[in-house]
Amino acid sequence: MLIPQELAAFMASPVMIILGTRDDALVPEIARAVGAVVHREEGSVDLMVSEWQWPQTMANIRANGQLAVTFARPSDYVSYQVKGHATIVPTTAEHTDLARRYMESMASTLGELGLEQRIVAPWLVDRDLVALRLSVQEIFVQTPGAKAGQLIERQS
Amino acid sequence: MTIRLRDLAACFEGVIPSIIATAAPDGTPNISYLSHVVLVDDERVALSNQFFSKTATNVRANPAAAVLIVDPRDGGQYRLDVTFEQTLDSGGLFEEMAIQLRATSTQVGMGAVMRLRGVDIYRVRAVQAVLAPQPGQEVSSRDVGSQLMAAATVARSVSEAADVGSIVDAVLDGLHQAFSFSHAMLLLKDPAGERLVTVGSRGYDRSGIGSEVLVGEGVIGTAAAERRPVRVSDMSRVRRFSSAVHASSDEENRTRTIALPGMPDAMSQVALPMVAHGALRGVLFVESSERLAFTKGDEAALAVVAMQAAAALALAEAEIGEGPSSGSIAVDQPVMTGRSFRVVHYAYDDSIFIDNEYLIKGVPGRLLMHLLRIHQREGRTEFTNREIRLSEELRLPDIKDNLETRLLLLRRRLEEKAAPVQLARTGRGRIRLELAGLALLEEAAGRTEG
Repeated sequence: MLIPQELAAFMASPVMIILGTRDDALVPEIARAVGAVVHREEGSVDLMVSEWQWPQTMANIRANGQLAVTFARPSDYVSYQVKGHATIVPTTAEHTDLARRYMESMASTLGELGLEQRIVAPWLVDRDLVALRLSVQEIFVQTPGAKAGQLIERQS
Repeated sequence: MTIRLRDLAACFEGVIPSIIATAAPDGTPNISYLSHVVLVDDERVALSNQFFSKTATNVRANPAAAVLIVDPRDGGQYRLDVTFEQTLDSGGLFEEMAIQLRATSTQVGMGAVMRLRGVDIYRVRAVQAVLAPQPGQEVSSRDVGSQLMAAATVARSVSEAADVGSIVDAVLDGLHQAFSFSHAMLLLKDPAGERLVTVGSRGYDRSGIGSEVLVGEGVIGTAAAERRPVRVSDMSRVRRFSSAVHASSDEENRTRTIALPGMPDAMSQVALPMVAHGALRGVLFVESSERLAFTKGDEAALAVVAMQAAAALALAEAEIGEGPSSGSIAVDQPVMTGRSFRVVHYAYDDSIFIDNEYLIKGVPGRLLMHLLRIHQREGRTEFTNREIRLSEELRLPDIKDNLETRLLLLRRRLEEKAAPVQLARTGRGRIRLELAGLALLEEAAGRTEG
């Protein structure tokens, strides 16, 4: 499914990225990603995740691939959630570079909101970086308010 | 090492958003930020159920969930393995969360949007620290013993204070000396019940004595309306409704309103209701420019101080009769050495202007006028509370209960304005007018212009 231009730009901007997966017993797990590369035409998003920090999430993706990702702008809580199936793809130099740039711009964005570098450091980790490719099947508005949870698009 | 939930109290202050992951029965995961996670006890947490409806739906079908909380002091992340247990839509915990939500949301203008539907209770099965490249500081709970000792120190000086003014001073000085809280206010409820009046403060440019807060308005008014402590740990996104009000005497003269003092850069605030004999007496308020300045333990210690102050104030107000007069005994001092001054009284709101400067309105204004009139008639400067209570001229059915407080308000306001008339307390139930010159009393019928 084609990812709308506006959403693609939002996902690639300095927004917090959180991941939800589950194991085979349907026990959910949380992780953070450090950057996203959007392939609009293919309807997919590559997400950079530290396997060192979030091993259970990687195990869940390898086992069943079910993934939900929320992108949230820290200044105003504007948020979108995308869901679909993910696989692990080879990590390229582009991925590693992007993660580095994302961590820098995210740290400075959060810095402007009054959060010091030492506080945000534990959330921005790229040790043992892995790239997940999410094939987007559903897009939801997640911004707090009456429209939260509203479906924008679903692959038919 | 096992991490106990209570050691992670700072994570529940609402500074850094928490995260929850759930899964639908078909295996589709859901991931969402949370506005409020509350620590219930060492085995349970409570989540407010407002917006994240998918989360609520999922846990009712599959109760297993994961919650990520963050320590705002070092950014450390903790993963909670939780199981959904039940939803509460009434009771103490529900009320507490609803109040906290209302207090913060009325200030950001989202009162209607942020209505609490229910509180979801989750059992915590395991707590795990998420790996970080440089592990943060050792998690330590703040020393509860020191807060208890500070509360005892303040309680001791409050219990030694014999009159309303000394009690207010004992509380505010105690907060500074024993707790090191430098910005504080004490407000007492007007008997009419709609507003709270500042009778003392510490740490601000102006004392703000006589300034008012409506019951139900902001952090202070919410604590009064709900009779529960209200605590905010990060005001950075909460618009300060009073910050635009410029405090100047021109403004006071024009509006006949004294501006509430406040820190323009306050990050943490806590308001404690003062209740005695089952009745709300006032609110104790403390603020700080630091995030997370007040812990749950501080709140508990301050709540005890506020309750004890309420009891002491109620007792002081209830005392009838006079003690011996101190200082120059009952000799009416010769006055009128200085220049004369003009005291204008507006009957419609009992406001008083001295030499065109706004002083006070309402019952304290009427009281001052009453004393000055007697002085003009009889030349007397010594008065007893008893004769004021019995005065026909004042015709105040409610004055009996709060006379001491009204007199304190009047006395402190006269002091602050350095007015040519001052009120001195000469003993229990006794006061004295001190005039720097001849008072020219004037009754004005209408409102002043602009």
